[in-house]
Amino acid sequence: MRKTISITLMSLIAALALGCKQEPAPKPAAHPAKTESGAKSEPGTYEKQKVVYHINYNDEKELKGAMRNVQNHINAVGKENLDLKVVMHGNGVDLLKQANDNPDMQSTVINLKKQGIGFQVCANTLKGKKINYKNDLFDVSESDIVPSGVAEIAALQQKGYSYVKP
Amino acid sequence: MKDNQFSQEFLNAFVDDQLTAEEKSRAYPQISQDESLNRAVCELRKTRDLVQLAYRDVPTPPSRGLPQPRTGLLGLSLAAGIALGIGISLGWFLHEPKMPTVTTVAHQPLRPAGVSVVAAPAGALPSAPREVATPVTAGATQAVAPMSQTAKVLMHLSQGETSRLDQALTEIEQLVQYYRTSGQTARVEVVINSEGLNLVRSDVSPFPERVQRLQREYDNLAFVACQNTIDRLKREKGITAQLLPGVSVIDSGVVQLMRRQHQGWSYIQV
Repeated sequence: MRKTISITLMSLIAALALGCKQEPAPKPAAHPAKTESGAKSEPGTYEKQKVVYHINYNDEKELKGAMRNVQNHINAVGKENLDLKVVMHGNGVDLLKQANDNPDMQSTVINLKKQGIGFQVCANTLKGKKINYKNDLFDVSESDIVPSGVAEIAALQQKGYSYVKP
Repeated sequence: MKDNQFSQEFLNAFVDDQLTAEEKSRAYPQISQDESLNRAVCELRKTRDLVQLAYRDVPTPPSRGLPQPRTGLLGLSLAAGIALGIGISLGWFLHEPKMPTVTTVAHQPLRPAGVSVVAAPAGALPSAPREVATPVTAGATQAVAPMSQTAKVLMHLSQGETSRLDQALTEIEQLVQYYRTSGQTARVEVVINSEGLNLVRSDVSPFPERVQRLQREYDNLAFVACQNTIDRLKREKGITAQLLPGVSVIDSGVVQLMRRQHQGWSYIQV
């Protein structure tokens, strides 16, 4: 009898441990784990982050604020821990128009790019607004252009990027 | 069994409640007073419970009538095996709650339009997804698939200026168009609350035809309006909002956004 007990108990425990270890299917992307990561990391430090910033407005003040948010985000997380993409569409594309004309904005963008921030432009917008990205926008190459800004933001979230609209 | 006056068999019978009333009343005081007896009974009870737990859903094995030693061995290994199974599933389920709920909620109105609702306070939100996420029909199993091919996008509209609505509609149309031309299956849900409601109110919408046309042309596109906003409009301004045909109503726009994101939808503010 005792043998039965101990064997049963042991297998129960072993199985419990086994079952617990099994990681369930990957989490849906748009839902970053909030509960555990905080407990693991020390105060003030973050684990690796993937973030998409959404910009579809062209008010200069707002854009400056948004760029400040990005810089603060880098400062908090550390550029080596951060994969941050700025996706612009609609009026938001004006950010890189302003960077063409406005030296302040230009140096901000250069600075952020140096720290690994990606700037992506919506092809729909370029077409709709008849923008020539080589002449009208600051430092955009073909690889920075995505077919649809909104679809890109959706797809990035599916890949685990968190959404921020500054 | 040292100085116990009860045999192992008797104790087993005691634990399994197979004694006569008389035997039981004789045994009970002694067992409760004798520490070693008490412990033995306790052990037996534990075993019984574990075995019962293990055998709960298992049909009686056909080897019932086999000679004693073999049943013992079989029982032992069976118990161990089944305990293993239970353990794994227990472990699995204990682990489960951290997973976001992945069930599909149909976006039908969750409550009749006449019922008045107090706008949900922010504090009430976190618990909401679990309440509403009741499993429904076939869609649920599909949603569990790890990363389905279907793009699922929430477009959140909460502002009501005409230029905003114009831009929102353009963005919405571009998105569904993009998915159609690129052959990507997708579901797009426009969640409308606060001032955004103007877009789908038949009395004030600046673009009723566009909304109607989009709904006609894209069956994977849904416009969902927030019941809280509708109620608030009634309460504060005495306006009974009439919605354009085809626009569904959801209890709370904000809660719907959270529910959907828990289900793996992407979120975009327009």
